[in-house]
Amino acid sequence: MNREKLISKWLDNNLTDDELLAFKALEDYDHLMKLNRELQGFKADDFDSRKEFNKVLSAIKSDKSKPKSHWYQPLLRVAAILVIGFGIYYYATTLDTTISTDFAQRTTIELPDASSVALNAKSTLVYNKKGWKKERDVELIGEAFFKVSKGSTFSVITTTGTVTVYGTEFNVKQRDNYYEVICYEGLVGVTYKSHETKLNPGDSFLIIDGKQIAKEKEIRTTPSWLNNESRFNSIPYKAVIAEFERQYGVSITLLGIDSTQIFTGGFSHDNIDLALQSITLPLHLTYSKENNSIILKRE
Amino acid sequence: MTRKLHDNICEEHLFASIFNKYSKDLHDFLFYKFGDRLHPKDKVQEAFVKLWQNCAKVTPDKAKSFVFTTANNLMLNEVAHQKVVLKHRQSKPKMHTNENPEFLMQEQEYSRKLQDALSKLTEAQRVAFMMNRVEGKRFKEIANLLDISTKAVEKRIYGALEKLRKDIKEL
Repeated sequence: MNREKLISKWLDNNLTDDELLAFKALEDYDHLMKLNRELQGFKADDFDSRKEFNKVLSAIKSDKSKPKSHWYQPLLRVAAILVIGFGIYYYATTLDTTISTDFAQRTTIELPDASSVALNAKSTLVYNKKGWKKERDVELIGEAFFKVSKGSTFSVITTTGTVTVYGTEFNVKQRDNYYEVICYEGLVGVTYKSHETKLNPGDSFLIIDGKQIAKEKEIRTTPSWLNNESRFNSIPYKAVIAEFERQYGVSITLLGIDSTQIFTGGFSHDNIDLALQSITLPLHLTYSKENNSIILKRE
Repeated sequence: MTRKLHDNICEEHLFASIFNKYSKDLHDFLFYKFGDRLHPKDKVQEAFVKLWQNCAKVTPDKAKSFVFTTANNLMLNEVAHQKVVLKHRQSKPKMHTNENPEFLMQEQEYSRKLQDALSKLTEAQRVAFMMNRVEGKRFKEIANLLDISTKAVEKRIYGALEKLRKDIKEL
């Protein structure tokens, strides 16, 4: 029997007595024995079946609830996506809509019920699309002209006062220390310091520096600014200047001029030089213009 | 067609007998294949827990392959392959009392060479060889565990032995 066969049989622990003798006579017998002896040092860690089985059992026991939870886990995922989706939808639809105009800018807004709002320069309008059917409330900072279609109470809320209407056309102007409501059609109620004033067509309600000022009937049917023009009737000069600054996006400095004097007149929004002449000539003033700053002086 | 006694292993005594039959072999298989760094005992435990969770789907004759495959995959998931070095047990009882230092040094040198040579075997060679030499399993038993032929086992083990001796001689 050859060497390889003998070694193979020895490996398989399958040597007969005769073969064992032949195997021991092999020249590398000693070497194989040494290797075999040394190999025992690399034996795997002890494995205590009983101990390991108890570990498995306790792992299974503490894991009992897991298979049960399987059936609704995918549902939980779907539910989570739905919740997030509805959350985003709800948040997006109940979010207030805000529209703003900058200097020398103007825009017209169509409200959800076909009422329309024309927003003058440097103004902000905030309303809520979602709650529109229940209450037609808009918040206004600045000046806007409203055409309100018939329906539930329509309120324009400003920091100075609240305007309540039922289908009408009116203009609200709320600027620093200046609050003016002009009714063009229908009936308008102005609540100022918890006192309501009813305005018929042509009536106006004006508060300057906290004082109510009586004004004559308005003859025009829309506010002048909708026709690219600002008109003033016995209005303090500083309010005129402030409006001018908003329409042209400039800053105006008055030198030695009484800003509280009353001004009647107007200016166009299309031509700054013409407009400057309109507000300076009647008061015998001169102006000098440099970039965006304008200085007004006595002649 | 013979009807099977059990078509699943969801009964605890059946599960226990399967565990007793295969757990040690599975552990040794993992140990010699991947070394001890990846905690073969934990993988054995995990594989049998998975077997229990899937007990309804696994027939008794499939249980062995199930745990071997599962544990092997658990190991492979854990690590991109790295060199396996089997540790030499220091707790080996001393056979000689008055060895001279030179002899001790030679012994240590030999042990180090053997360790190196073992790590150079293929995984398949090392598993079959160590199961045979250290765990004392015969070719047929190893063939059954690994689902390969006896001839293939013999080839692996003999090949491993020749390679070890060659490597030790060269080192």
